[in-house]
Amino acid sequence: MDRVQYILKRLLLMIPTFLLVMVIIFVLVRLLPGDPAIAIAGDRASDADLAAIRARLGLNEPMIVQFWLFLTNTLQGDLGQSILMRAPVTEVIAKRLPVTGFLTVYAVALSLLIAGPLAFVAALNRGRWPDTVIRTVFQVGLSMPVFYIGLILLTFLAAQLRWFPVGGYGGSFIEKLYHLFLPAVAVALYTSAIIMRNLRSAIIEVLDAEYVQFARAKGLPDRLILGRHVLRNAMISTVTLLGLSIGNLMSGTLVTETVFAVPGVGRLMLEAIFARDYPLIQGLTLTFAVLVSVVFLLTDLFQSTLDPRMRLT
Amino acid sequence: MRQSLLAVTAVLSAALAGPAAAQERGGILNFARYDGSNLIDPIYADRNPDIWMVGSLFDTLLRQSPDGSSVVAGLAEAHSVSPDGMTVSLTLREGVAFSDGTAITGEDVVFSLDRARNPDLSPWAGLLGSIDKVTAEGREITLHMKAPDPTILQMLATFTTGIVSKAAFEAAEGATDQEKSAAIFAAGGPGAGSGPFYLCGFEQGTSMEFCANKHYWRKGADGKPLPYLDGVHFEIIPDDATRILKLQAGEVDVAEFIPFSRVPELQADPTIKMNLYPSTRIIYSPINTRETRADGSPNPLADPRVRQALNYATNKEALIGLVLQGAGKPMTSPLMAAATHLAADLDPLYGYDMEKAQALIAEAGIAPGTEVTFTTLAGSADDSTIFAALQQMWAPLGIKLKVEQVDGATRGAKNRSGDFDIHTYGWVNDVNDPSQVTGWLGYTPTANAVGTGWENAKFNDLFEASATEMDVETRAAQYAEMQKIYAEEAPLLFMYETPFAVAVSSAVEGYVQTPLGNNVFEEATVSR
Repeated sequence: MDRVQYILKRLLLMIPTFLLVMVIIFVLVRLLPGDPAIAIAGDRASDADLAAIRARLGLNEPMIVQFWLFLTNTLQGDLGQSILMRAPVTEVIAKRLPVTGFLTVYAVALSLLIAGPLAFVAALNRGRWPDTVIRTVFQVGLSMPVFYIGLILLTFLAAQLRWFPVGGYGGSFIEKLYHLFLPAVAVALYTSAIIMRNLRSAIIEVLDAEYVQFARAKGLPDRLILGRHVLRNAMISTVTLLGLSIGNLMSGTLVTETVFAVPGVGRLMLEAIFARDYPLIQGLTLTFAVLVSVVFLLTDLFQSTLDPRMRLT
Repeated sequence: MRQSLLAVTAVLSAALAGPAAAQERGGILNFARYDGSNLIDPIYADRNPDIWMVGSLFDTLLRQSPDGSSVVAGLAEAHSVSPDGMTVSLTLREGVAFSDGTAITGEDVVFSLDRARNPDLSPWAGLLGSIDKVTAEGREITLHMKAPDPTILQMLATFTTGIVSKAAFEAAEGATDQEKSAAIFAAGGPGAGSGPFYLCGFEQGTSMEFCANKHYWRKGADGKPLPYLDGVHFEIIPDDATRILKLQAGEVDVAEFIPFSRVPELQADPTIKMNLYPSTRIIYSPINTRETRADGSPNPLADPRVRQALNYATNKEALIGLVLQGAGKPMTSPLMAAATHLAADLDPLYGYDMEKAQALIAEAGIAPGTEVTFTTLAGSADDSTIFAALQQMWAPLGIKLKVEQVDGATRGAKNRSGDFDIHTYGWVNDVNDPSQVTGWLGYTPTANAVGTGWENAKFNDLFEASATEMDVETRAAQYAEMQKIYAEEAPLLFMYETPFAVAVSSAVEGYVQTPLGNNVFEEATVSR
């Protein structure tokens, strides 16, 4: 199929997906016990105050009317007013999204930097001690919760050695790299463990493949074999894995951003849920849905570029 | 631990009464907060992170006296109440100005108070419901009352009556008052209020900056205007452990809301002062007193004897040891923290007495194995500890305590609908008067006596009578009576009072968190 046509088809398919996401999140937040009016006015507010707030927020309208408003406003790019932040949802998200985006890309880059070389070392030394050491260390990384890793990093590298700041988010690009290093490492330790394991077995698989054996037999230098054949083929499954773990990465930011005091959308989501901030929860969920869909699409496109055998259908 | 609380009280009184002679001036104080402000405005502030900052930006006509029991002059240099209580007269201090240097006029005062008592705008309007009209002639301000109000002077020293600039509101963008307020907050800069600081930077959810108001009227120990600091930089660090690390790394000077489990460790750190500021915060658990539960089944807790038994069987000192590492004290008034004006001292309030508890349970005819549900906040370590302790403490009564974990919003909804047996709760006074907390915990029309469904005609009558009682002694007697009734009826599990635990670098002096929770920076200094 033609690439442009394929992209168009995928984009069209996203419409029913988003509609479904909107319906589900709209219903779900309203099924939660707890009332946004109480979240606004506090536990101490009088019943009259609460009724007034509900009326102001349009929460007394029939559900279907509320949903219609949500839908039509969203189509016009208006996600409503955040109850908690007292500002337009789009504005609030637009401010926080780049922070999480930076952190996520940073964490992915670090994961690849950590996992890539080590996966090669482990695969090339299959069954020998470097392999065992690397795999054991990563197993530990995989089994430790992110908030725990985070606190350990903060305690030693930030509070005691003072190599890094304790939490926060810098101004310039370099400052951001510096401030977000520890949170990115905390996330990357987990992601890189998954990538390393996957990449290692992919490399081993490719190394065992007949065409590589043949290339070796022909006397091609190892560097060329690894670069041209092994890396390229092993990349395919890594990219797929990274694409699929975008959801995990996103949910990981909920914890990481809280521990490291990073003002991103993950922490925002937690705050929104606790405050029953319906518009903000809806807006954030929709944003996550869009991001995940786009990343999935990009993953598929990237895959087909790496591996022409994969057909775009 | 009580001794150290007393010591802090002494420090606090000294700090409020007047600072020491030599004062360091200048510098920025770095402050790690547990949660950020969203809108600091005298009337729209409704969460503690907003309420507790209002006083820094907006000055009030009167101020709390250092011990909190009365009021002293503020923006108004003189005040008097007519003998019949129907007129309150105030004289605005000469030469006072907003933070941009423009003079504060009677018109600004009328505008501010009218805004604060407008129920369409302010959730706090009820506190000022006794005012009929506010007028100003030059510097003379008059409050014409609908009825005498013994709390009115305290209200004029409360955040919600902070004076705002009428001109700033008229110039602000927006169609409604709330939009204007939000626009003023978003823009920042001097001019909106006349507190010791003005807002000069704000990044939602991240940071906030206060800059010194050069036109503030109060003078420091050196005879020059307060505040001593050039400004305060706030960072929002929601995680307790991270906030402490930030202080230990020297990146901030103050970290608030230290978990009590970490207090002993920080007390041992020579570079840190672990302050336990006396507070009006009480931790208690409302008990559902309705005859039937929400699901229609009979409610064993409807019998006051059962509620008394649970109170006697609860070892408060043990709870304080477990949850607060000793940094607290049992409630001595059933309705308020001991620091609150008119608090009765009923110490010990339901001192631990298992025999009495078992006798009461037998008298009430409660069958062994009776199930009671205790609703806690999911993720709260304190609540989990409290539950585990109560489960053991109440087992000898034959009470089988089950736990139900919910989040804050769900707990609030359950409290309102009466769909609970017992749940954890807490309170900090917003107003330096017992009427607010008494109305909340006991007066049925306010909130069903904190959701318990408890209704006592005599209590309600006393509360209504006290609301217009200008005679100090009569009012005190009414409060004593209400506290007696409430203790006897026990609609709550009376637990303990906790201080505000704030860790401060040794370079900082003069920072205070008041018993109401307000963060006071005007006499704080930092030496670099």
